[in-house]
Amino acid sequence: MANNEQELDAATLSTHGKLAMFNTGLKNGLANGEKFTALMDQLIDTTDGEVLLAAAQRLADFKLDTAYVTFPHQYNNADYYLIFMSRLLGMHNDEQAALNSQRHSESLYHVYEALSVDYTFLYQVVDNGNGGAYYREQTTGENLFYIHLERRLLRFNSEAFTNLFINQLLLKGTDAADINTVIATLIKFGHCLRDDFGFNVDFNILDVVNAAKYELRSANLDRAIVDKLFVTAAANDHMLQNSKQGQGAQIELRQGLTVDVYDAAEKSGSHKWVITVHDPEQAVSWFDVLLHFNFMRDWYLDNIDSLEIKADPLVFA
Amino acid sequence: MEKENQPDLEKQDQTTHALTEQLQQKLDYVTTVRQAITAGDDRLIYELIDGDHYHQALLNEEPDSTRNAQVALITDVYPAISHYLSTKLIDYLAHEYPFFYYEETQIGEFQIYFGNWWDRRLFGKLNVLKVAFEFSSEEYNKLQQTFELAANHERFNTAQIQKISAGSDQLQKLIDAQSDRDEQKEELRKQLKENGQRNSLFDSGRIKEERQQIIDQLSKLADEDEQANNAHATMKDNEAKILTLSKEDTILAYEKQAIENAFKSFENFNERNRSLYVDYLTTLIGKAQVAADGE
Repeated sequence: MANNEQELDAATLSTHGKLAMFNTGLKNGLANGEKFTALMDQLIDTTDGEVLLAAAQRLADFKLDTAYVTFPHQYNNADYYLIFMSRLLGMHNDEQAALNSQRHSESLYHVYEALSVDYTFLYQVVDNGNGGAYYREQTTGENLFYIHLERRLLRFNSEAFTNLFINQLLLKGTDAADINTVIATLIKFGHCLRDDFGFNVDFNILDVVNAAKYELRSANLDRAIVDKLFVTAAANDHMLQNSKQGQGAQIELRQGLTVDVYDAAEKSGSHKWVITVHDPEQAVSWFDVLLHFNFMRDWYLDNIDSLEIKADPLVFA
Repeated sequence: MEKENQPDLEKQDQTTHALTEQLQQKLDYVTTVRQAITAGDDRLIYELIDGDHYHQALLNEEPDSTRNAQVALITDVYPAISHYLSTKLIDYLAHEYPFFYYEETQIGEFQIYFGNWWDRRLFGKLNVLKVAFEFSSEEYNKLQQTFELAANHERFNTAQIQKISAGSDQLQKLIDAQSDRDEQKEELRKQLKENGQRNSLFDSGRIKEERQQIIDQLSKLADEDEQANNAHATMKDNEAKILTLSKEDTILAYEKQAIENAFKSFENFNERNRSLYVDYLTTLIGKAQVAADGE
């Protein structure tokens, strides 16, 4: 008897329960959708930086579909990074990174007025546990930087900048000034993140600060590589001097602009060869040197296996 | 006994007298050196440490070794004197020879570096007490040859670099000719096979000879193949050699340029080196004169 009652209850409940569950599922799904649209409102309309960042952060791993409610028109999670970037730059009056959308689908990408439309940029979300996303140029697959909104960190990648902007663009005829325009926007993005939200930013090869030490892939640099610079510099009417910084060399590229290549190891017996760039206005990075001084660029590219500037090994293995 | 000793004592007194006299001279000498250092009178110090040379070189007097009678008293402090004298001397040299840099490796010992460019050469020593450069003959000779070769618009290592480059070009040709050689080898092997199939009682000598010729050609081609296989390593070695030689040429060019900027010619440079003692001491005398006039 007791058993029967239970079975009856279960049967009754199951119909009601199913309906209730369905309804709850719908409500939740709709609520989820509304939460989404509220975040979208924030992402596209807010003028408050923190609100913008919070919205982007939430949307970057927002699951819009639920078991009961699915939406046929959706953007990729990666697209919210693009929107965030354009909006943040827009709030700082930089409209260079133009958001474009694909004609027949909801997917976004960046193009830059200064570059050919062949070059499109978008984010690639990292699927593993680390999270974050890479800002990638589509045709070359170069990951220019890595961003993690929650951990508030940004890491630029020297290898991608060299490959894309030097090898692919500059050496194939793109104007240095146009490249500079794009780079300036990317640097500006880094500044906005650092100044507005306290992001930990490694500008890497783009760092203009005099104190920046660009670490070389080869910690114990073969002196023959410095010899090569000495010979090529002399052929280009520049003298590579003995560095004042102990073991190393210095070259003055123009009045007040000097590049040092030296061993910055603090312990004797170990080695840490670095490049530094000094200029009175602290406006020139190693990348700028590569962009503007042909013989320095040739030297760097010819010996890239040793000279390549190290990027954060945790995100650029 | 006492009486007998008397003349000895008298004699001893004379000797003793002479001794005290000598000791006084020594004391005077050392005192003068000390005062000269305290007063910063470098000219006087130079006169005291090698009076004979000083008098000959500056006053055109005859050699007289007694001028240096007391010098032995201070030889053990030469390093410290050299260290002391180096300050003004190097100031002077920095102006006259702007391309030389000095490193005091131990007290009073100075090494000369030529230039401030990358991997500048250790060029010799500065003898402060003698006011003289002691150039490394190997380095100096290279520089001398650089000046000589410049007349033909050649650099010190031009010939050697050309030779090595030609070697690399040759190797590159060997590499490029690989497919030609492969074709030749195939042709020769075919010939060899044909040759082996020919069997003539009457012609066996000629056939053998022909066979040997084919084998010789094949082994020559095999040698070339091997050279081509090793060529990349050799060419890399050559590149490293050329870099070393180009670097040396660059350094020598900078040295030559530095000398021409300061002295116009290598001859003038050498002449100035020879008269360095007199020139420097004359400056010191001149300065002392100005100081005395000013008082």
